[in-house]
Amino acid sequence: MHYQFDWSQVWQHRDLIFDGLLVTVALSVASLVPTLIIGMLIGTLGASGSRAARTAAGLYVEGMRNVPLLIHMYVWYMALAFLRLPPFACAVLGLTLYSSAYVAELVRSGIGAVPRGQARAAAASGLRPWQALLLVVYPQALRIIAPSLASLASQLIKDSSLASVIAVAELSYQAGAIEGQTFRTFEVYITIAVLYLALVLLVSFAIDRIPGLRDAPSVGRIADA
Amino acid sequence: MLEALLPEALLPEVIRQNLPFLLAGLAMTVRLAAIGIVGGTLLGLLVGVIRYARVPVLSPLAALYVEIVRGTPLLVVLFICYFAIPALLGYRTSAVNAAALGFVLFIAAYLAEDVRSGLRSVPPGLARAGLATGLSTVQVFRLIVLPQALRRIIPPVFSQYVRLFKFTSVASVIGVRELTGSALLVNAREFQPVVILATVALTYLVLCSTLSLVGRLLYARLSVRT
Repeated sequence: MHYQFDWSQVWQHRDLIFDGLLVTVALSVASLVPTLIIGMLIGTLGASGSRAARTAAGLYVEGMRNVPLLIHMYVWYMALAFLRLPPFACAVLGLTLYSSAYVAELVRSGIGAVPRGQARAAAASGLRPWQALLLVVYPQALRIIAPSLASLASQLIKDSSLASVIAVAELSYQAGAIEGQTFRTFEVYITIAVLYLALVLLVSFAIDRIPGLRDAPSVGRIADA
Repeated sequence: MLEALLPEALLPEVIRQNLPFLLAGLAMTVRLAAIGIVGGTLLGLLVGVIRYARVPVLSPLAALYVEIVRGTPLLVVLFICYFAIPALLGYRTSAVNAAALGFVLFIAAYLAEDVRSGLRSVPPGLARAGLATGLSTVQVFRLIVLPQALRRIIPPVFSQYVRLFKFTSVASVIGVRELTGSALLVNAREFQPVVILATVALTYLVLCSTLSLVGRLLYARLSVRT
C-alpha cells in the first residue's frame, strides 16, 4: 500500500459536508411525510373490499416500484422539465412516488394481519366504518408493520443519495465536489459512508424507543379465541 | 437476437434509430444483474451460514460487514469500489468491474440476512430428528435445514433480486453504459427525454415484473406446506 492518508482535507471542507448532511436530512424528512400519507391511503385502498380499488392500488404499487428510483428522478427532472420544478422538489417527488409503493404494500399486509373479528367487533359496538379503521384497525396494523417501516425509513435516507444525479446538493453530491477539488478519494467517501451509517443507526435507534411500538401486539390472540 | 423479439414498427422513431445502442445497454444491464445475483447469492449464502453457525472470529466480521453495507447507500458503495478501494490498494479498474464488485458486495449483505433468518426459522425438531437417524451435523445441515430454509426465503430473496435489477441503473453514475447510461447518452444527442425515459421506464417495469413473477411461481411450486 502506497496510499498516504490525509484527513485534514476532509476536515477543511467540513462545512460543505455539514451542509450536505443537512440537505440529506431535509430531503429525507420532506419525502418521508408524504410517503407515509400516500402509502397509507393506497395501502388502505389495496386492503379494501372493492375490487376496483384493489386493482387501482395494485397498479400504482407495481408501476411505481418496478421502475428504478434513478429513472423516477430523471423523469421529474428531465422529461417534465417544462414544469420547471427545482431539483429538490423533483427529488422529493421521485422519492415519494417510489417509496410510497413500498409503504402501501406494508400497510396492506399490516391491515390484512389484523384479525377480521376486530373490525366486526368495532362495528358491533357501534363505531362507524371510518372510526373502526382509525381507532381499531390502524393502531394494531401499525404495531405489526413498525419494524418494516423503520427499515423503510432508513432505506429512504440511503436512497436520497440518488438525488445527487439531478444536482441536489446533498451529502453524496458534496462528496463528489470535495473529491473533485482535493483528490482525497478514500477519505471523502469513507467519511460520507460513516455519516450515512450514523444517520441510519440513529433512525433505527430512535424508532426502537418509541413507546408502544416495540412490544408485539397481543390483541390478536384474544380476538382469535 | 433481441431485435427479432420486438415489433420494431411500434417503436418511436428516436428509439428505433438508436436501437442497437440501447439494446447493447440492455445487455449490459442484464449482465450486471446476473453477475450481482449469482455472486451476491453465493457470498450472501456464505455470510449468512457463517453468522447462523456462529463461526468464531468470522461471525463478528460477517456481522460487521452486513451492518456497514446495509447502512451505506448503493451509490456510495459504487463510489468506494470504483474510486476509493483502487486508490487505497493502488490498482486500476474499469467502471464495469467496479460496478459488478459493488453489486455483489451490496446485495450479498441483504441476502445474508434473509439466509440467516430463513435458517433460524427451520424448527429445531427437524435437525434433532435428522441427528437421531444417524446423519452427521454437516449432513443434517446440507440435507435438511438448508433446503427448507432456502424454500422459505424465496419471496424476500426475489424482492432483493428485483431491487438489484433496478439498482443496476445506478452504475450509469460511474459511467457504465447500461440501459440507463445508454439512454442518457442517446438523450444527450437527440434531446427527447419524454420518449426516451418513458421507454426505459417501461423496459425496467416489464423486466422487473417478470422477475418478481418468476419468484412468485417458484415459491408457489416449492414453498413448504405446513
